[in-house]
Amino acid sequence: MQPTVSLTQVYKQSRDVVARDVQGEFIIVPVASGIAEEEDEIYSLNETGRAVWEKLNGKKSLKQVIKDLAAEYSGSQDEIKKDVLGIVQELVERKMLVKAAKK
Amino acid sequence: MKRTYTDRIRLPDFPLWDKMQGARKLISLDLEVTARCNNNCRHCYVNLPADDKNAQKKELTFDQIRTIVDQAVSLGALWCLITGGEPLLRKDFFDIYLYLKRKGLLISVFTNATLVTARHVEVFKRYPPRDIEVTVYGVTQTTYEKVTAKRGSFRAFMKGLEALNNAGLPVRYKAMALRSNVHELPQISEFCKQRTKDYFRFDPFLHLRFDRNEKRNRMIRNERLSPQQIVAIERGDKERRLALEKGCDKLIMPELEHVQCDHLFHCGTGKGGFYVSYDGFLKLCSSLSHPSCLYDLKKKPLKHALEDFIPRVRDMRSDRKEYLEKCRKCAIFNLCLWCPAHSYLENGHLDKPVEYFCKVAHVRARSLRRTTGIRRAQFESMITNKAVA
Repeated sequence: MQPTVSLTQVYKQSRDVVARDVQGEFIIVPVASGIAEEEDEIYSLNETGRAVWEKLNGKKSLKQVIKDLAAEYSGSQDEIKKDVLGIVQELVERKMLVKAAKK
Repeated sequence: MKRTYTDRIRLPDFPLWDKMQGARKLISLDLEVTARCNNNCRHCYVNLPADDKNAQKKELTFDQIRTIVDQAVSLGALWCLITGGEPLLRKDFFDIYLYLKRKGLLISVFTNATLVTARHVEVFKRYPPRDIEVTVYGVTQTTYEKVTAKRGSFRAFMKGLEALNNAGLPVRYKAMALRSNVHELPQISEFCKQRTKDYFRFDPFLHLRFDRNEKRNRMIRNERLSPQQIVAIERGDKERRLALEKGCDKLIMPELEHVQCDHLFHCGTGKGGFYVSYDGFLKLCSSLSHPSCLYDLKKKPLKHALEDFIPRVRDMRSDRKEYLEKCRKCAIFNLCLWCPAHSYLENGHLDKPVEYFCKVAHVRARSLRRTTGIRRAQFESMITNKAVA
């Protein structure tokens, strides 16, 4: 069953991955087992994914993250919300994001 | 269609490699965490005794390793090989390994597997390396221990290897082909191939020691196979034979005769990667031990080495006629083990021909002549002119 992503939930980056900017390429390297499907896999985040990832620091709920992004980037709040939910859903499924205690 | 935000990329397909092509970017580092080893292999170019206090004192500390690794990661390194000696001899191996993992490096580990414990297996399972390369010296106790000169090492090796295999860890296999085990090479090959779908390689090229220990160098020379033996085992291995035949146009190049170039380095050494010796010196590759090619990372920053030192070493030139006329213009230069690093280990100079390498290259070349389509007489005159007496 897919994990449900909630707008009121606070998420943080898992300690089982490391995000790195290597020569302008934003990548996520699995540190622990259970993230990558093969030993020689890494993950690349596109520009939108990176912007969202950098906001997910275990301090703000998704709702607040969406508000912050809407203030920084052009595009309607609805579009941004759709992107954020999509990204977070995907990263939670990959165990790269985990739930943090609500603030 | 559902939009995706992450791309799963297998490393060989990673676009970064293309981006780095040609640019002076850092991709990898090899970290020799110790020169000590619990085995005492006859052919080894590094090993010092496991209880060698002086060698242990000179080893980089965990803090020094962290400082070097931090710099490498900030400059873009993505890959790290942990090698030795035997890396598992380090009491702080787990600290080093986990630190590198937490920096987001992809890790390979070279080990003889004899010191693998349940704790290693547990850590490797939880924090997987990209691969663990194990060298197989023999598949019987007699042969294995003839090479390692250590009683009980075969049993320890089998136990360690089984533990890695049973845990499903990504083990790659390598064998060194030497006089003490060449009779067992087909069985070694079978042993390795049965255990992996991935990868097995053997290496018949034994080079001399970094510390220039003459007594040990004599042992290595005594373990070297003859050129004919090397070619026989290369021809006997289907994958290797096909690879050599396929790459023939790059390995035998008559046009090299017209080369007017006095540069020493023609390989990729220092491009995209570097080697750190156990005592903290940056080398362009593991073998390049000439004092003028060493850079002390304990005292100087890595960035300066990448921007200034490595390009200066790569720009080194030779005025030795023997090298410029024979090696540099030799049509089978690319089939030869000769390189400045190996030349220095053999004879103390970066640019002096090495008779043994030359002989091996000639026998290899003759074994490939038919693939080139060059007529025998023309071929013989092409390669004989450059032979080292």
